[in-house]
Amino acid sequence: MSEEHVQEQWKKQLVKCIRCGTCRSVCPVFKEENSENTTARGKVQLLEGVVEGNVKLTPILQERFNKCLLCKACVKGCPSGVRTDLLFLSARQANARKNSLPLVKRVAFKGLTFRKLFDTGLRFGSVMQNVFMKKSADGRGNQARFNIPGSGLDLRRIIPPLADKPLRDRIPEKITGENAKGKAVFFTGCMLNYIYPEAGEAVVNILRKNGWDVTVPSDQACCGTPAFTSGDQDTGRKLAADNVRVLSGDYDLVITACASCGAALKNEYGEIIQDEDTRRKWEKISAKVMDISEFVEKFGDPGLFGPLPLKITYHDACHLVRGMDVSKQPRQVFAAVPKLDFRDMKDADVCCGAGGTFSMVYYDLSRRINDHKLDNAADTGADYLVTGCSACRMHITDGLSQRGSNMKVMHTAELIDMAYKSGENQKKGGK
Amino acid sequence: MDQQIVRKLTAIVGEKHALTEFEDRYCYSFDSTFINAMPDLVLQPGSRDEIAAVCRVAYEHDIPVVTRGAATGLSGGAVPVKGGIVLEMTRLNHIIEINTVNRYAIVEPGIVTQNYLAAVDQAGLFYPPDPASSKMATLGGNISECAGGPHGVKYGITRNYVLGLEVVLADGSIVQTGNLVDGDMSGPDWTMLFCGSEGTLGVITKIMLKLTQKPQAKQTMMAIFDRIEDAATTVSTMMASGVIPTTLEIMDNSTIRAVENFLNIGLPVEAGAILLIEVDGDPKAVEKHVQHVMKVCQDCKALTVKAAKTTKEADALWKARRSVSPACGKINPTKISEDATVPRSRIPEMVAAVREIAEKYKLKMVIFGHAGDGNLHPNILSNKHDKEEMARVSKAVEELFQAALKLGGTLSGEHGIGYLKAPFLVWELGEEGFQFGKDVKQAVDPKCLLNPGKMFDYRAS
Repeated sequence: MSEEHVQEQWKKQLVKCIRCGTCRSVCPVFKEENSENTTARGKVQLLEGVVEGNVKLTPILQERFNKCLLCKACVKGCPSGVRTDLLFLSARQANARKNSLPLVKRVAFKGLTFRKLFDTGLRFGSVMQNVFMKKSADGRGNQARFNIPGSGLDLRRIIPPLADKPLRDRIPEKITGENAKGKAVFFTGCMLNYIYPEAGEAVVNILRKNGWDVTVPSDQACCGTPAFTSGDQDTGRKLAADNVRVLSGDYDLVITACASCGAALKNEYGEIIQDEDTRRKWEKISAKVMDISEFVEKFGDPGLFGPLPLKITYHDACHLVRGMDVSKQPRQVFAAVPKLDFRDMKDADVCCGAGGTFSMVYYDLSRRINDHKLDNAADTGADYLVTGCSACRMHITDGLSQRGSNMKVMHTAELIDMAYKSGENQKKGGK
Repeated sequence: MDQQIVRKLTAIVGEKHALTEFEDRYCYSFDSTFINAMPDLVLQPGSRDEIAAVCRVAYEHDIPVVTRGAATGLSGGAVPVKGGIVLEMTRLNHIIEINTVNRYAIVEPGIVTQNYLAAVDQAGLFYPPDPASSKMATLGGNISECAGGPHGVKYGITRNYVLGLEVVLADGSIVQTGNLVDGDMSGPDWTMLFCGSEGTLGVITKIMLKLTQKPQAKQTMMAIFDRIEDAATTVSTMMASGVIPTTLEIMDNSTIRAVENFLNIGLPVEAGAILLIEVDGDPKAVEKHVQHVMKVCQDCKALTVKAAKTTKEADALWKARRSVSPACGKINPTKISEDATVPRSRIPEMVAAVREIAEKYKLKMVIFGHAGDGNLHPNILSNKHDKEEMARVSKAVEELFQAALKLGGTLSGEHGIGYLKAPFLVWELGEEGFQFGKDVKQAVDPKCLLNPGKMFDYRAS
């Protein structure tokens, strides 16, 4: 797309902004930073300046646009319907073209497109991680032993270890049964595959429990979100094309259990795919994309749930609630689980501050945003925080460790799988 | 701006709170209007004393100081049209005291109105002014522009609740006006000198506000009219009849259609206008007032009058009102919101005048707003990139002002004069009145450094 064409696209959105400032009341970054350069309307003003020739695509401008969680709160809150998410993504791309991305990001994103190399790298990482990382004091995860150049890892930060064995090695590529109710293809995403394979296994269990055939293609690639949200559209486009090819089978549903992967497959690919043939194929896939909580709400049998006497609260991942419109579904599922004590927290749908690479670049800021989430979660008195996004899970778990909280974090799929298992045990016990 | 002065000013507020980069200053070049001007420096002071120190430096070097809250104003008040320093007040955002016995609150100016309203509510009291921008606007801005809102009909506007202020003057001296005792009369009401002065006379650093009692009960009604003229007559008849509703909002046919398209909640799209009416107070009185209001509407040819049966129904009606702006934004991107206001009895004439002007200049215009206090908010829906249309818009706006003034009204019911209405201020005040305003400005801010180019300092270029 030519620079002019891009700006023409911008103009359509820019003209709608009336600078009313509603974005000031919803932006998590603005609430901490208290500066107009973090608001959506401030950024709209800057882009209008770019179009008019008053503002240049400088490295400073690039930094201002990076300081955004892409949580879409401004999109949802905007009375004039300005698609600030699309604008800011496009602005990041324009900036990346002009100023290029940091070397580390360029290398990393390039790596994503060589799936096998990426896979080997992470397996190697799983073996080697103890050289660089040490167990955190509370045993919840790992901390960097020293400043690892370019890793974006704050020394305080506690991250989960890479799994000994990735998800896709733990389960067969195809699991079929008799009289299947439907065929699902499971797009695992990288975090479930390499970091939280148990949550991925829970997804497979849920699908199987409800009588669905499951395919977990081994050649699926990263969804591309880290690349295209950073402004590397080429990499994003390549990965999208790969995944469209892999998912274009005879499937009834494309199941996701990662907010960002789901939002990418369902909606955001539409913004980056240019090739007509790929786009037609993607449109078919998009209609089938479903988060696992949505699947359970729609196709799951609530009669299979056993009692789960846990006190839980739920965090709405941005890309689930605003990226995929999934927010009621998990709550409806919770309501159907016997004995489950679900307590909704204040501002459950406000961003937790993770924002992908945001939390690496702006660790302190993302911690401050996360603190509000943790306070609200603690106020509910729940023992477990449930969420449908592994990135949120990682960031929230780090926050809980930092403040020495006993609250545990789990994936929605894990909770549902537990409820099914409890149902099985009850049945066995009853007989 | 001289680098040495920038360093001096930066030292006062701290490096983190002095924005010097072009890209950052660019984000402070606008408010909720469509005018822009670049500040030379943006400062985010953290205390009154820092503000006073900034003002002293600015005074010494003749640098303009433009005070800014959330910049949600609709008259260009926060735009630094002469450059200089933008003084962003939002770090001063604390509630110092809410006193439930003497019913007052002391707050800092940078607090977001909504956060203050929530705290007052928590304390079991009520602060009525509720401008549509309360989610993001600041109290300092509310006072500087003298904001109103739907509650204004019964409870009055911001100015009716300001007991006193602490103000930093242009030269950095600090004065306090008013007193926590409601009824303080030690000299002229200097508080009112600053209320509505739009940052042209001083920088408000502390605010003392009156609080009142929460109403025990309320009831929402909707009256549907065939003709907007009948709705307008209802408003003036209602106000004359002795029962003052809490809110009395009007929406004309174009507004109804826009909102219905947006929300799909079953609004009467064929109606010429609807009135949304709320009464509040003691439960028994509310019941009586509902009967009264319904009768007045029927007498004034309302097709139907319905009282909301549940809170949910009432909420749906208010949601319709709150959705007017976004709904209009879907029709045409640039929404020019005017607030020319007339005495209540002249509302039918003003409605007719607005319609005539819209027709004359072939503009999409919707009428909605706080009809109860004569503040109609005619909104022109246009496109700022269409130069020819914008020329018609500016002529239409002028005529709107003339029409309001002819009916004994005012240029501004709540948005202020700022930059956009400054050229017309002399129409309302007359040459001598305008000169008096200039003289006062000259006396309080002799170097004319505070928010220059606005209100009485406007000079046609």
